[in-house]
Amino acid sequence: MSWSGMRGISPIPSYVVLQPTTLCNLDCTYCYLPFRARNDRMSPAVAAAVAASVNPWAAADERFSVVWHGGEPLAAGRDALAELMAPFESVEHHVQTNATLIDDAWCEFFAERGVRVSVSVDGPEPLNRERVNRAGAPAYRTILRGIEALQRHGVPFSALCVVAQPRPGLAAQLYEYFLDLGCDVLGVNIEEQEGVNARANDFADDAVRTFWAELVAAWRLEPRIHVREIEWTLRYAGAVLAGTADGILPGALDPIPTIAADGRVFLLSPELAGFTDARYGDFSSGSVLRTPLSTILAGAATSAGWVPEYLRGVEACRTSCPYFGFCGGAHAANRYFEHGRFDGTETNHCRNSKIRLLEGVLDHAEAC
Amino acid sequence: MPKHADPVTERVNEAADGLRVLLEEAAMARAARAEASEQDGTSAVCAWNHFENIPTFYNWNNRPR
Repeated sequence: MSWSGMRGISPIPSYVVLQPTTLCNLDCTYCYLPFRARNDRMSPAVAAAVAASVNPWAAADERFSVVWHGGEPLAAGRDALAELMAPFESVEHHVQTNATLIDDAWCEFFAERGVRVSVSVDGPEPLNRERVNRAGAPAYRTILRGIEALQRHGVPFSALCVVAQPRPGLAAQLYEYFLDLGCDVLGVNIEEQEGVNARANDFADDAVRTFWAELVAAWRLEPRIHVREIEWTLRYAGAVLAGTADGILPGALDPIPTIAADGRVFLLSPELAGFTDARYGDFSSGSVLRTPLSTILAGAATSAGWVPEYLRGVEACRTSCPYFGFCGGAHAANRYFEHGRFDGTETNHCRNSKIRLLEGVLDHAEAC
Repeated sequence: MPKHADPVTERVNEAADGLRVLLEEAAMARAARAEASEQDGTSAVCAWNHFENIPTFYNWNNRPR
């Protein structure tokens, strides 16, 4: 089998990530962001420049998303966020938030603007030990208060959960928690070694496979939540059985441009924003204050020194890894932060969140 | 990947019986979650342009946290 997807970079993304502020009011120990204590704020001029490229894309596409990320995007404040959102037309606005600032007024803001909300919460209180405020105090209670506000207002929400230590028995506990929480969608991220988080993520193979297999088992009992990892794996497995697996990956890589607060553009991996390297510089592909985003993306393949190296890395994955059709190639940030360069192949993230995921789901299926 | 070896496809096929049951359950679950085409737009679930009914930015080839 040879895989035809993920060749080159699409000049049009399916979504853009914007950083309204670098600031986060939490100081989670596993966070990859280097400047989360600083409050560098996006200017309306940056948002307007992004919108100038995004609006035609959104007009031509059934769905186009603008994701307000951070930092903590709500730390920008409602007025500032509304001003930044104003120039965008026909887009879906999303926020990825730690939920601690969500109150009645924010819920009204979300409802009025149709903002889709995704909260970061790692499961029951003891599993949120890594999530602390700037004084080092546990943040869970304030996270929960924000989620309760969403529930009170009937605002639907998704959840992203970081698993710091995958182990047998954990998945069922997590899934039950998220069922009770009432999220529509769940994404599960095994902790990654990225950015300023240098903690090792070379977990034992059995522990991770068992975690995923048990997550499927728990999900089957009450599949009310759309679990990203399970859905994607089943989609791939179904395509393999149907002989259509080569149609799963998109034809080209989605550039996923992240626009930092200062207007710089980071392609493919938002986690690269804010870092510098003697060999790769600041990883940016230019600034929307100087060059239209559409122009930057049209020349994406050579827009920053590391990108051609990354594209070679994708091709190396294609020719060397039997999981390529499922995965599409190791992510740029994982390559860099684990290997120090972009043309290596298999990362711990690949093992934990792709290979062992697929194997865990298959383990479960075989045991049925 | 080399044409002479495709261990992942083989592995998936080995699990085919259990997978088919799982796939059927997943399809029913999606229908129950109303993730099909007749969405009213009020759910946090929305179709990802390329793939599945997930928030657009829960992208597979990368995803912010």
